Amino acid sequence: MSAESDMEYSDNDGDDYDYYGGQDDCDMETIDRSKSDPEYFLYSCLKVEEVEKLLNESIELLSNSLQVTPSLAKVMLHTYEWNAQDIINKYKENAIEVLVYSRVKPRVPTLQGSSSRTACAVCANIPPIHNYSALACGHYFCNDCWAMHFEVQIMQGVSNTIQCMAQECEVRAPEDFVLSHVPKPTLRERYQQFMFKDHVKSHPQLRFCPGPNCQWIFRAWVREGPRRVECHGCELLTCFSCGAPHHAPTDCATIRRWLTKCADDSETANYISAHTKDCPKCQICIEKNGGCNHMQCGACRHDFCWVCLGDWKAHGSEYYECSRYKEDPNLANDSQHAQAREALKKYLHYYERWENHARSLKLEEQTLANLKSRINQKVMAGEGTWIDWQYLWDSAKLLKRCRYTLQYTYPFAYYMEVGPRKELFEYQQAQLEAEIENLSWKVERAETTDRGDLENQMDIAEKRRTTLLKDFLDINVASSSSKV
Amino acid sequence: MANIAAKRIKREFKEVMKSEEVAGGAIKLELVDNSWTELQGTIAGPPDTPYEGGTFLLEIKVPETYPFNPPKIRFITKIWHPNVSSVTGAICLDILKDQWAAALTLRTVLLSIQALLSAAEPNDPQDAVVAKQYRDNLFLFNLTARHWTNVYAGGPSNITDFNDMVQRLLDMGVEEHQARVALSTYDWELERATEQLFS
Ligand SMILES: [Zn+2]
Ligand SMILES: [Zn+2]
Ligand SMILES: [Zn+2]
Ligand SMILES: [Zn+2]
Ligand SMILES: [Zn+2]
Ligand SMILES: [Zn+2]
Repeated sequence: MSAESDMEYSDNDGDDYDYYGGQDDCDMETIDRSKSDPEYFLYSCLKVEEVEKLLNESIELLSNSLQVTPSLAKVMLHTYEWNAQDIINKYKENAIEVLVYSRVKPRVPTLQGSSSRTACAVCANIPPIHNYSALACGHYFCNDCWAMHFEVQIMQGVSNTIQCMAQECEVRAPEDFVLSHVPKPTLRERYQQFMFKDHVKSHPQLRFCPGPNCQWIFRAWVREGPRRVECHGCELLTCFSCGAPHHAPTDCATIRRWLTKCADDSETANYISAHTKDCPKCQICIEKNGGCNHMQCGACRHDFCWVCLGDWKAHGSEYYECSRYKEDPNLANDSQHAQAREALKKYLHYYERWENHARSLKLEEQTLANLKSRINQKVMAGEGTWIDWQYLWDSAKLLKRCRYTLQYTYPFAYYMEVGPRKELFEYQQAQLEAEIENLSWKVERAETTDRGDLENQMDIAEKRRTTLLKDFLDINVASSSSKV
Repeated sequence: MANIAAKRIKREFKEVMKSEEVAGGAIKLELVDNSWTELQGTIAGPPDTPYEGGTFLLEIKVPETYPFNPPKIRFITKIWHPNVSSVTGAICLDILKDQWAAALTLRTVLLSIQALLSAAEPNDPQDAVVAKQYRDNLFLFNLTARHWTNVYAGGPSNITDFNDMVQRLLDMGVEEHQARVALSTYDWELERATEQLFS
């Protein structure tokens, strides 16, 4: 199960797992956990073979209880979103309707009987009689044409929905029929791969991990929830509902709007993604190479904030001012041009912070990797065991988790209506941001920081994060998307 | 070209030639070259439509995988219709896309396109501008379609008001088709069309 088998410690993954869930069992402990962790979502991370087994169980169940071939069961399950029990109930009421709705049988019986086959309507050849075949609709075509038809469809990525070749006939070709006409092993394999992908996509409980070349598949165990899933393979955090990167506290529709907007406005936003800024005190050029936004100028030792370039000392209690966007109160009276400029300014304010935290996350990824190798070195050198240094590792992991949430608070705030709720949100966001930067500062200097101090800071940051999520994560909105 | 595609096209060509629609002058099919990969179709504008009296040419490209994939068809003759692009001639018709079936033939396709001229599908538009006019101002849409049929497809209705307006823009140095598109788009309001052309 461990994705980090190269590591010399064994309990890390388990620990993290414990914290973020993903066990199959739904005991009292997991129910309790959803109270302490607002993002807790019951799911499992499955391998292809496990999902195949899962799907086969449904296929077998349906095929046995309706006495139909597994191929036909697949066609029906695909249509009815893998709800075997629903199909069985409906089948008892009206079998024909279920077969017609699944496009196994035609709605109107075909008039053209086997007696009327003269030439194949597709190729105009007259092959020997045994070289013809038809689906349940009774539209006969020669086997060569069926083979060509399937090849063309499979090459275009079609699998479950391949139809009969007759005009206006919507009957679908079941797997056994297709395979009996496709001898080429590569094509058969391709067909079955597409079919499997299609099955996962049509299954409301399943979703592929969107990570590049990642083969893992998530299985959701409950219908509601914040739907945060973490891949065991590539560690990517995904929203089970919409497949986008996990985005709490922002909901699915809002994150889609935000990401589209960012893509549309990428030109305008380009100029701010600079990696260097001048020290506000001595004007020396500083490159940001860590994730922490609490900067210290190497030349003059001035402490300042990377985001707003303000004095860091003022940030402790009034971080509010840095993360919050101050709308112009006279906006409504301004000209259209001024309003457009103001709208862009507002967007850039949120975008800059969103983008900056994304970059910090990447940089902190590096910190994490460095830390890992440093701990390994220590352990090798006999300076304690992995268990002794575990807290350093945990702190960096926690920092990542906190900053991730912080990044996704910006689209949320951008679309929030001005009012007391937004004020409360921005207050909490600022609190979280301040504690994260404190944590980041300490993690970057972890080996020289007092362990108690670091653990205390971890505790504070995580508390701020869960408080914000508890207050603003709308579970109902999060599940109102495609996969229910 | 795949053997089956050429064979099918040859057979279909014969089928169209023998059909009563060809005899009646409703549709026509011609070869563009001898490779059977490109054909030219002709359909007559159906009676009781703004396209009546017009002759519309179609470009038909036969893919290698025909008939397992649909032929690629577009209007060569410019036409004002919600399901045909007034710019490229591209057609939005289900049987040319996902509802294609290998057993369909060029004859049925040509007849379906002709039927589309009689019954537009404004809810599945290819040209959003035309579709909007069709929905909001059917009277003006009919006149515009009639005018285009007259100018581009040899239809009988000469709408002098429209011709005059196009001429006014020609006098200002605007290219003829561009002028007609602008006027058609802006419901034949000369001022708005001019504004758009010169902005
Ligand atoms: Zn055949
Ligand atoms: Zn059929
Ligand atoms: Zn993955
Ligand atoms: Zn989502
Ligand atoms: Zn400095
Ligand atoms: Zn700041």
